[in-house]
Amino acid sequence: MSDRKVTVEFNDKVVRQFLLACVIWGAVGMLVGVLIALQLNFWQLNFNTSWLTWSRIRPLHTNAVIFALVGNMMFAGVYYSTQRLVRARLASDVLSQIHFWGWQAIIVSAALTLPFGYTRGQEYAELIWPINVAVVLIWVVFAVNFFWTLARRREPSLYVAIWFYIATIITVAMLYIVNHLAIPTSWTHSYSVFGGVQNALVEWWYGHNAVAFFLTTPILGIMYYFLPKAAERPVYSYRLSVVHFWSLVFVYIWAGPHHLLNTALPNWLQNLGMTFSLMLWAPSWGGMLNGLLTLRGAWDKLRTDPVLKFFAAAVTFYGMATFEGPLLAIKSVNALAHYTDWIIAHVHAGALGWNGFMAAGMIYWLVPRLWNKPLHSVGLANLHFWLGLVGILLYVAAMWTSGITQGLMLNATTEHGTVLAYPNFLDTVNTIRPMMLMRSFGGALYLGGWLLMAYNIARTLRGARAVNGTIEVLEDEPALEKTTAGSTVALFFSPPVLFSVVGVGFACAWMFGGQYIGFAGLIGAMACAVLAFASFERHRGRWGDWYDRLLVRALPFTVLTLLAVIAGGLIQIIPTIVVNQAANVEDRRQIPYTPLELAGRDIYVRDGCYLCHSQMIRTLVPDVLRYGDYSRLGESIYDHPFQWGSKRNGPDLARVGGKYPNIWHLRHMEDPRSISPGSNMPNFPWLLDNTLDLSTLPRKIAVMRELGVPYPKWTDAEILAMAGAQAKAITKDLHATGGWISSDREVIALIAYLQQLGHYESVHHTGPVPTLAD
Amino acid sequence: MFNRLIYQDFTAVFTISAFSVAASIFVAVTWRALRMGRPQIQRMENLPFVTPTPPASHGPDTDTKPGS
Repeated sequence: MSDRKVTVEFNDKVVRQFLLACVIWGAVGMLVGVLIALQLNFWQLNFNTSWLTWSRIRPLHTNAVIFALVGNMMFAGVYYSTQRLVRARLASDVLSQIHFWGWQAIIVSAALTLPFGYTRGQEYAELIWPINVAVVLIWVVFAVNFFWTLARRREPSLYVAIWFYIATIITVAMLYIVNHLAIPTSWTHSYSVFGGVQNALVEWWYGHNAVAFFLTTPILGIMYYFLPKAAERPVYSYRLSVVHFWSLVFVYIWAGPHHLLNTALPNWLQNLGMTFSLMLWAPSWGGMLNGLLTLRGAWDKLRTDPVLKFFAAAVTFYGMATFEGPLLAIKSVNALAHYTDWIIAHVHAGALGWNGFMAAGMIYWLVPRLWNKPLHSVGLANLHFWLGLVGILLYVAAMWTSGITQGLMLNATTEHGTVLAYPNFLDTVNTIRPMMLMRSFGGALYLGGWLLMAYNIARTLRGARAVNGTIEVLEDEPALEKTTAGSTVALFFSPPVLFSVVGVGFACAWMFGGQYIGFAGLIGAMACAVLAFASFERHRGRWGDWYDRLLVRALPFTVLTLLAVIAGGLIQIIPTIVVNQAANVEDRRQIPYTPLELAGRDIYVRDGCYLCHSQMIRTLVPDVLRYGDYSRLGESIYDHPFQWGSKRNGPDLARVGGKYPNIWHLRHMEDPRSISPGSNMPNFPWLLDNTLDLSTLPRKIAVMRELGVPYPKWTDAEILAMAGAQAKAITKDLHATGGWISSDREVIALIAYLQQLGHYESVHHTGPVPTLAD
Repeated sequence: MFNRLIYQDFTAVFTISAFSVAASIFVAVTWRALRMGRPQIQRMENLPFVTPTPPASHGPDTDTKPGS
């Protein structure tokens, strides 16, 4: 082999592109965040326009922060660190550019569709199906580019940061595809294949793990690379990083049901979600301590170095947020905190403190190196840090106070728990107004800090010349995959994997099998455990060797990580899909919507009503006293998508049907304060102006039939005639009570939908599902 | 076969089994991590430093003037 050296130039162009995109989109996302925060105090700030209304642009805020700010930051960090950790240039410049421009096109598409009501109606999964397809395609491009680069690497071992990147890529792909499975009704609309409780479980399996594997694992990988670089010392404990990674990957995926505690979700899933959430304390704090202790001996640098300031604060916020998360996942704590601003405080401690500060630290570290020019002003960077920190603290403190106040007031009872202490929901809304204002101020401070960074970078880049990093490598240095080809199969057919697979098989037989198969499964599982232990004792070296070889083989490592994350999802989702169907429902079952009600429901989803109003009365006394009998699993079984909600800026609507006359709803949509003085709900005047479009209704009902909703085989004409007749009946009632409006307005369909909520049929035995024709 | 999941207390086994599996993996990984040799650890933890770090041109104590 020749010992002549050649220079490899890294592809840092794409890193610079993603980095700048992160700064720009981050500012946009936070600006929208400040606007919607202010709208909760000043309802007039939608200016009576649909596309500036809170419920339309709140998804824009969340998607921008998650997929645009953190997404672009993640790609910049992953591409920069991976090239250096594996000592190889990114595999394809073309794929890198497709990745960058494709991702930006997705963000622009989201910004152009969400405010105009094109949504799937599921949190963090709002984007319409053509954009979903684009996301998957671009993610595949990212994966190919990444794994291709790993295949061409010159460093045999995979550093722990690479492990986190691998887990991110495969898990996000799995979560995103499963949760976005849908049947289109048009180019801009689709219905999720999952309905009711199934949809709730899958959505929060995705939603929780979007936090885990989009906002956490890649950033932990970035932490494990950039924090040692900035502190100029190795990670505190590589051993701890190994334990941290595997335990996090195994545990995180199970915790999704903690978003649905005290709801109609089966209790075993709630217990599972709570248990695993509590277990998350250990790996999360392992990671935090590893990060903070890496700064040992370098704490003095924090005084002057903004990069380390941001990193240290970010890791601290990671520790705080990951302590708070499991705490909130305890059922009794959740009874107080769920649906309140406490959750908003929690997610912003993570998003602003952990993600935002890690992004800022990484950006300040990278910019001088990627443009080979000193930062314009370190002083401004330090000012950014303090503005951001004060901003977060104001925000989080305000939302903690607000959330706990909400929880206490809404749950407060008198007369020995038989009467609500604050029966009017608006009592709570008006009590927390000062806190909501303080939140807006805190968010504005954070945004101000971010804009300072944008200015600082713009000034730094003026006249600067972009430079790409280089390394020298041996000309004939072989890529690792070639040198160890052929050992992949052996890694799979080794004792640790075989015992695990057989053991899981026996365990499944034990749990799901009948009397005899179950018993055989129990015996088999126990025998498997004993034999595995014996094999381990006898061949300790071989077991250890297997693990060491795994760490230098990207493909088997990836497959085993995928299996780890799949297991948690499958055990929760498969039983729910198989068991919790309409045919098995007992007690109560939802009555399918009439055509007009379905059209109204789509308007409800389009305008994001679910973002303020839940449709899930929990199994808690205050909820039942306030909203009526607790929600049964079967009462939303035909809802595609489910509308249980996650936040109550307004009251629950699960049983609002028939509670008020039609005219009440009409006036409420037109001007909420004419009905509820002091309300902060915006006006929805366009609902009274827009003509109801029923052209796609037959197709929508056909798709609902495909999804299992028991609609008869109506003709298109029958569907439209039924919708027209119901609209006329509602309009007639409105006219009789002084509401002069045409029957072809959107608000008529919405009223039809709202008046149906809470209606169900009693089911005393399992049997064939009745249809509307019955 | 899945009916027992919603009609019986048997469902508790899921939580217990899942906890046991995760705990055993945690123990196994911890054991493995503790068994890693010092040379191996030193090699792994220094991987970020194998590739030289370009100078930042702004050290902790080198505040730069605007436009510099």
